Amino acid sequence: MTHVSIKELTKVYPGSRVPSLDRLSLEIPSGELTALLGPSGCGKTTTMKMIAGLLEPTSGDVTFDGRSVLRDKPEDRGVVMVFQNYLLFPYMSVADNVGFGLKMRKIDPAEIKRRVGEMLDLVKLPDLGDRKPSALSGGQQQRVALARALIVQPNVLLLDEPLSNLDAHLRFEMRDLIRSLQQEMGITTIFVTHDQEEAVVLADRVALILDGQMKQYDRADVFYKRPVDEATARFFGGHNFIPGTSDGETFDCALGRVALPEGAALGRGKLTFRPENVRIGASTNGENTLQATIVDVIYLGTQTRLKLRVGETEVEAVVNPNEIESYRAGDELTIHMPKSTLWVI
Amino acid sequence: MSDRTKIFLLLLPAMFIIVVLFFGGLAIGLMRSFNYMPVIGLTEPDLSAYVSVFTDREFYLSFLLTFHIAFTSTLISSVLAIGAALLLRRSFVGRGIVNFLFQLNLTVPHLVGAIGMLYLFSQSGTFARLANEFGMIEKTSDFPALVFDPYAIGIILQYVWKEIPFIGVIVLANMQSIGEDYESVARSLGASKWQTFRFVLLPLIFPGVLSASVMVFAFTFGAYEIPAILGANFPAALPVLAYRKYTDVDLAARPEAMAMAIVIALLSAVMIYFYVRYSRRRIRG
Amino acid sequence: MRSFRVLTGAVLITWLVLPLIPLAIWSFARGWFYPDLLPKTWTLRAWDYAMSDTAGVLDSLWLTIWISVAATVLSILVGVPAGRALGMYKFRGKEIVELMILAPTIVPGIAVVLGIHSVFISLGLNNTVSGVILVHLIPTLPYMVLVMSGIFANYDPAYEAQARSLGASPLKTFWYVTLPAIRPGIIVGGLFAFLVSWSQYILTLLIGGGRVETLPLLLFNFATAGRNDITGAIGMIYILPGILILLLTAKHLSGRSGAVGGFGQI
Repeated sequence: MTHVSIKELTKVYPGSRVPSLDRLSLEIPSGELTALLGPSGCGKTTTMKMIAGLLEPTSGDVTFDGRSVLRDKPEDRGVVMVFQNYLLFPYMSVADNVGFGLKMRKIDPAEIKRRVGEMLDLVKLPDLGDRKPSALSGGQQQRVALARALIVQPNVLLLDEPLSNLDAHLRFEMRDLIRSLQQEMGITTIFVTHDQEEAVVLADRVALILDGQMKQYDRADVFYKRPVDEATARFFGGHNFIPGTSDGETFDCALGRVALPEGAALGRGKLTFRPENVRIGASTNGENTLQATIVDVIYLGTQTRLKLRVGETEVEAVVNPNEIESYRAGDELTIHMPKSTLWVI
Repeated sequence: MSDRTKIFLLLLPAMFIIVVLFFGGLAIGLMRSFNYMPVIGLTEPDLSAYVSVFTDREFYLSFLLTFHIAFTSTLISSVLAIGAALLLRRSFVGRGIVNFLFQLNLTVPHLVGAIGMLYLFSQSGTFARLANEFGMIEKTSDFPALVFDPYAIGIILQYVWKEIPFIGVIVLANMQSIGEDYESVARSLGASKWQTFRFVLLPLIFPGVLSASVMVFAFTFGAYEIPAILGANFPAALPVLAYRKYTDVDLAARPEAMAMAIVIALLSAVMIYFYVRYSRRRIRG
Repeated sequence: MRSFRVLTGAVLITWLVLPLIPLAIWSFARGWFYPDLLPKTWTLRAWDYAMSDTAGVLDSLWLTIWISVAATVLSILVGVPAGRALGMYKFRGKEIVELMILAPTIVPGIAVVLGIHSVFISLGLNNTVSGVILVHLIPTLPYMVLVMSGIFANYDPAYEAQARSLGASPLKTFWYVTLPAIRPGIIVGGLFAFLVSWSQYILTLLIGGGRVETLPLLLFNFATAGRNDITGAIGMIYILPGILILLLTAKHLSGRSGAVGGFGQI
């Protein structure tokens, strides 16, 4: 069990003026599963490599349980990184790949063989030890990479885009496997991803990094309900941003005057709410009920999106796809937005 | 036009040249080595050329010397080329110059390198003069024989000079396409720097190193002009001996020259086997 | 660690330029005897001699250029179609064809040239420039084919189909669509072929029979005759095309190209 903390970590690559990572600070409690989320090139993998000791930070510090590890060599840190493309050694059998870390520690071959067998059972690949990695499917290679990392019993496990190379049906299987192994072994785990869905599905907590800087570090659901700014909200699929002024209780904007939940920001800002939180029909108490005209109906299979004109502005809403026939462009509609689903940024 | 006809016509000119000139040349050499040449009335093939070659002490000395030249040059060049490629992977002051010289060196013909070595290492060459300057030797004959010498040191030095960049460039490109992530994985799994090189990088680049080495071995075994410039008169390298036999005033020695050419060809056939085997694996890997 | 790298780099740099230094100095030296570290007299005599009409160095230079250019052009004409067949199609016996084309890159010239010589006698090709150009195709053609098959493997023939469907004739399609796409390969492969031909020694010696005296033969003769000053000057002239080609195409000469093997033959 290791508490990882990152302090003002900065990386400027030689020959570049813009830092790839700009003063990132992060506390990762012992045994938690944390996601570093951001678009490609935002410095996530750079951060992981610095935690693993594979890259030297320009400034800042990485500590495990309060002790700086910057001077430790990568092989002495107890951190194992699993790369996105698995990087199984192509010339070794699956069993040799899994046993690699133990062989490097000069452990007795019989002992290695026993532990490799256990590990392959754990990742549900008991009979594939003799195969070459090229004979495995993507999902199997992923499991082998995971087994190869876990067998050395690391204090910290780093995963680079662990689900992104997998088919949709394998993703949930792998998600469950990673979560159960991680919980069972209590390893502090950090993974990076560019996919907000992957982050939400897998992580206890998510750190959003945009342009080399941390935007928000919270439980996954908070990013949907209380994003810190428009860029964060957009990253999580937010669509509705309506400028106006807040007095703390109401927001004055193109939609009229709408009631706000407690704790909303004051002054000029933007009202944001998720398309899936726009309800059709009037609210029971008449709060935040608006008249809208349908501009366009977009069928997306699992949902139907409506583009609505409300007063001087446009709003996007999501409705049940089975009801697509009841909506037609040009129709008038009453909608409301529960005030708990609104947020000012 | 069907695909088969198209492929046939596209390949025809190139295959014609290679079959007629290259394989034709080999076949004629093989026939003549057996004293078989119906056109000039030799219709009874025999082994006399091979008998006289394989009973000649000079041939064995020559073969051993040539093998020594090829093996030692290839081994030293490969090891140093891997070292040079490891060096060139990292940035340091002067890397650009080394890179440039590597490529420059590739374009300089072996013959020029051989003459350069002659001027550097002969007993009145640059190093002999330097040794004299520092009072280490008096007369030119005090300087150790590094060219025209029985151990072919001058020849090997020239090959090492020329082949380090050749193998180095191939290995470096090989390393760059492999990337550093495999090594990162190994480090994070607990391998030390040496273990990472030994168990990860070396196996990954080995097929590339081997296929480059095979080309070097075959070339150094069969090259004529370098041992002709830098080598001792006796024993001479096999290609030099074959050329001498072929241009001997005694035309009866020609089949012996052909027999030696066939020995060189057979050895390169073995090399081709290794090359194909490992370059295929490299493609699959 | 960093200073270790700089030091090894410095050793490497010295080693790489070392053999070229005495050669360059000799071309400007006169009577540079042991144990002098540097020549007592500096002179342009060797260069004057090499550049004079009577010495034959310039004739030899033009002859060498003509032979290498001819061998290169023939390699391109023959190698491009073969490269297309190997790069774009799968067919039975392809591996054998590839092996046959690969073989001359590994089998040394001495092993085949003796047999060729005894046939060329009856064809009257020995001691002729045409004979030398033909025999140079043995080492040059395989590299041209290898480079072109690499280029065609990454070439999408759909562009040609598109051009034809837009009304271009086969000839126009080749000229406006295929050729621009494969031009880089032709240039790189052609430069390789030129350099490989440029450096041939034993093939020229035997087939040319001493009558076709290219630069390397001349260089060899002066070197073994002990005329170090003239050897130096010819040596400098001889390495010039390679350096020019390097400066023009440095980015193509990385080891990634399959044709880098050609350098093993130079």
